[in-house]
Amino acid sequence: MIFELFILNSQAEPDYRQASLVSASHKPLYTRDSEWHCHRNDLFLKVMKRRHSFAYNLIIFILAQLVWLSVLLLWIYWYVSNNIIFEQVGEKVSPQIVYDAPSVFPFVGGIVLLTGLSISLVLIFRHLNIQIKLNALYDNFIANVTHELKSPLSSIQLYLETLNSREVPEEKKKEFYGLMMRDAERLKNLVNSILEIASMDKKKFNRDFEVYKADETIKKIILESAEQFQLKESSIKFSGDAGCDVLIDRNSIKTVFDNLVDNSTKYSVAPLEIMIKFKRNTKKAEIEFSDNGIGIPHDQIKKIFQKFHRIYDKDIPNVKGTGLGLYVVREIIKNHKGKIFAFSEGKGKGSKFKIELPIYVEKKKSVKGNKKDIKNE
Amino acid sequence: MSDEQIEKSRILLVEDEENLAHGLEYNLTAEGYLVTLARDGKEAIKFFDENDFDLIVLDIMLPYFNGFEIAKHVREKHPQMPILMLTARTQVEDRVKGLELGADDYLTKPFHLKELLLRIKGMLKRKSWYQKVVIENPIYKFGNNEINFENLKCTKGKKEFQLTSYEAMIMKYLIESKDKVVTRKELLENVWNMNPDIETRTVDNFIVRLRKHFEDDPSDPKFIVSVRSAGYMFQV
Repeated sequence: MIFELFILNSQAEPDYRQASLVSASHKPLYTRDSEWHCHRNDLFLKVMKRRHSFAYNLIIFILAQLVWLSVLLLWIYWYVSNNIIFEQVGEKVSPQIVYDAPSVFPFVGGIVLLTGLSISLVLIFRHLNIQIKLNALYDNFIANVTHELKSPLSSIQLYLETLNSREVPEEKKKEFYGLMMRDAERLKNLVNSILEIASMDKKKFNRDFEVYKADETIKKIILESAEQFQLKESSIKFSGDAGCDVLIDRNSIKTVFDNLVDNSTKYSVAPLEIMIKFKRNTKKAEIEFSDNGIGIPHDQIKKIFQKFHRIYDKDIPNVKGTGLGLYVVREIIKNHKGKIFAFSEGKGKGSKFKIELPIYVEKKKSVKGNKKDIKNE
Repeated sequence: MSDEQIEKSRILLVEDEENLAHGLEYNLTAEGYLVTLARDGKEAIKFFDENDFDLIVLDIMLPYFNGFEIAKHVREKHPQMPILMLTARTQVEDRVKGLELGADDYLTKPFHLKELLLRIKGMLKRKSWYQKVVIENPIYKFGNNEINFENLKCTKGKKEFQLTSYEAMIMKYLIESKDKVVTRKELLENVWNMNPDIETRTVDNFIVRLRKHFEDDPSDPKFIVSVRSAGYMFQV
């Protein structure tokens, strides 16, 4: 689409009426309002979306492959036909030159070059598609973060203006202050998680690793998270025994379980039940975290740990979130040299996360002088 | 509807952010409105279907059904229901989509409490005026046009179409002032509840749309005529 010029367009919608950037077809694609802000219109958006869709790129890729195949066939045809002519001309002009065998070097060289070109095309399109998907996820992330930032901010502003403009009873005032504190806390957590992501991307971890007893510490961390999300202690059940030590950064592991508990509360309809099971195998301590929430669709299980990824489903009882929670969880567990897996039998059947952390074993060297203290909770 | 009656209007507040919903409910109740709070799309549709409301304050990002879907459902059943969309989304596409699906006004978060209350009051006043004049004359015919001001359905000869609530209100205002000059300022103040110093061309654009709907030749209007340097006049 070629943009030509700005023209006055009196037929445009009220807010975008003053001027329009028009295409060759004279349909307004870009408009400017009375405050000189530019706006894309629906047609323009449709064109842009079509341009960046997967199908559009696939068609371009297939066309490029067809062009490449035609060039390859043309090259083979040209080489074969010209080789025959060269031989005939050679025999006439200089019969003493005898071709023992046709020279295959230029022929094979040409094919190798064209194949290289094809591989380059495949690589370019592969990266282009990855980039398009990332851009779409990033756009979603920006929209979600905007929502997550603006909602508590609006709430704080509303309460401040209410307190400023109305006669509010003392009891209500206290309630409003409490609600504002909760919103401020929500804003702080969001900013912290964005900063955490930034440091994860740069591989700059600031962890404070200590040796802890796995069952005792993790049980205490989960109960702290439950209290933070106002869950009753009775809604969490513990079983099993790992009976080993683990080397962890307590604050990071708290973030892991904060995110898992938060997800369970957000994505459950019935009264929430969380089951925690400890296990131990030869080298790893296993923690199974399962809930009776709405579960995860099968096709989404592999994607839920991706950065910015969110599940959009009509049956999901919550629309809040940035798509960062489980990504942060996975990165923290990876940083502890552990692994995390997600399981679900499908929608409405709950979710299960299995976390594996390496068991801490004292090395002989450390016995001499560098022995780590085992922290008791 | 007097000011006292407007104060007792029933408002359906659809907001899933618990703290914000609580604050809005407190303020609207303090203004004298009767507030019903819906925390997701399913609840909003259920409450709307089961009760009568005078106005809806609607968030866009909601669980189960989003604000656009709810607005569409409301418009199908009740074309004149005033809807104020309240959202954190500021993209122009969202605003256009909201207005196209029948939202009458749009306020982005974070907003000022005073502005929200003023807009709600303005919308309720317009609704009350419109209802009053529609009860007297629900169907109006002129030329080969017919307008049903209750369901906003119109016919021009054999062609059928639907007016938006603003188009209907302007048309009703012009018809009520038949053969009298109506200034742009008057329309802005009474139909949009807006400051006339800011947006006078908004009226002109709506007049262009109405002429396209009802005039045989919009460039040579017979019903909605321009009065130089004054405004517009409806004549038959």
